[in-house]
Amino acid sequence: MTPDSVALIKKDRLRYSKNKLSSNLTLLAIVFNALYFVSIYKSDVGSYYYSYIIGISVVYNLLFMLIAFLASEGVKGYKLNYSYVLAALGLGQIVRIFILPIDAKNTFITLSQESQQVMHDGQFMRVCFYLIASAALCILAGITAFIKTRTLTSYEEELKQKAKGASHE
Amino acid sequence: MSNLKLQHLDKIYDNNVQAVYDFNLDIDDGELIVLVGPSGCGKSTTLRMVAGLEDISAGKLIIDGKDVTSMPPKDRDIAMVFQNYALYGHMTIYENMAFSLNLRKENKNEIHQKVLAAAEILGLTDQLNKKPNQLSGGQRQRVAMGRAIVRKPKVFLFDEPLSNLDAKLRGATRREILLLHKRLNATMIYVTHDQTEALTLADRIVCMSMGYVQQIGTPLELYDTPANLFVAGFIGLPPMNFFDVEVKNGQVVCDSFAVDLTAEEKQALKAYENKTIVLGVRPENIVEGGNITVDVFSNENLGQTTLVNGMAKNHKITCKFREWCNYKAGDTVNVSFARKHFFDKETNNAIR
Repeated sequence: MTPDSVALIKKDRLRYSKNKLSSNLTLLAIVFNALYFVSIYKSDVGSYYYSYIIGISVVYNLLFMLIAFLASEGVKGYKLNYSYVLAALGLGQIVRIFILPIDAKNTFITLSQESQQVMHDGQFMRVCFYLIASAALCILAGITAFIKTRTLTSYEEELKQKAKGASHE
Repeated sequence: MSNLKLQHLDKIYDNNVQAVYDFNLDIDDGELIVLVGPSGCGKSTTLRMVAGLEDISAGKLIIDGKDVTSMPPKDRDIAMVFQNYALYGHMTIYENMAFSLNLRKENKNEIHQKVLAAAEILGLTDQLNKKPNQLSGGQRQRVAMGRAIVRKPKVFLFDEPLSNLDAKLRGATRREILLLHKRLNATMIYVTHDQTEALTLADRIVCMSMGYVQQIGTPLELYDTPANLFVAGFIGLPPMNFFDVEVKNGQVVCDSFAVDLTAEEKQALKAYENKTIVLGVRPENIVEGGNITVDVFSNENLGQTTLVNGMAKNHKITCKFREWCNYKAGDTVNVSFARKHFFDKETNNAIR
């Protein structure tokens, strides 16, 4: 097989295979998001977390998982719009670092006459890693979905043109 | 492709029931062999022994000169197509066809080419992204065949692949299998209880009964020169008429009729003078006009032919006439036998 024919076969394979790579990357992003939200309540910091921000965070987590799951199914079937959704979700995960984790890291609470940092450095690094990983995976899934979908669309268009040409002849 | 030797195969189950007795057959490269017989005759068991799905109790199975008797199924390089298709419902047709190659971890691009080539042969190219439940029975069976084709096995095994299809689809798929065989020139073993499939598909037919091979031969040989009463009765639709007759003075005689023998027949029946034998006459070898009177009790018009069932005195007789007839119950028709078969009453073997 020549390199050209290999490239052509690879394109042709897209017609019959699902975009499992993007889909799986998205599912992995959901896993990292889950790791993030189960590990933010690491230390006992009184009533710090009892605020509307944590309420919004919980709702966002649910929405993130729902939308990311839908997007994982969407990109599996080469739907271009879902690649934009994934990119947006990825950016959202980056933004989240600057809301709850940064705030918790910079907040000290006095408990039993002792000042305590809500989120110590180790925990902060860990939750940041989870969010960054989740963001990176979402964005990567979005990019691969975008590339594959565009490749498939243009290839199918090419085939249609060829078929039209053949029928005219 | 390859040749097979089935040497003295026996199958005895754990409960000591013997399903196959001393099965011997040499199959040439590219040959389509049909195993035919009634339910329980051992044909599917024989096929499963070839596939490796049943242990061989005794005997040898040789593929391309290599003894594979105790080799596991996966190493025999054999593909089997089942009656119930055995497709994965959650996979697309493409994925179903590529499945076995993916398991072998073959190159994805090569798998793609093989699947597309098989789909092209079977006319499934437009169905590749569908799931099995979106296809008709015939298409599903083609997918099952496609899954076998992509592997390029040494031998294809078909276990009653058309039994789940309606009559029209069965005919169409049967023709497709025949074309496929011609195109691939593959060695195939095909199991069926339908003699029409056997006669139309086979290069050679193996007719089985009660675990024993009754006759091996071309479709014409089995139809024209059946080896025994079983084969004579099994091959042919409607089945052959049988009469117990006595050989007497150049005639075969029974209480219903007496039929003159030709010189050749007299010679063949020389040793049976004054003895009782079985006379077999195919319905299509019975012609209108003659000295045998048949009291008609039913007339079935099939378009090009008519089946007339009646009684020749004490013997039930079925005639197949080549024209449209309108006999009514109670009518009589005189017939004669254009071609006769004779069988030994004791051994059931053909007398020639």
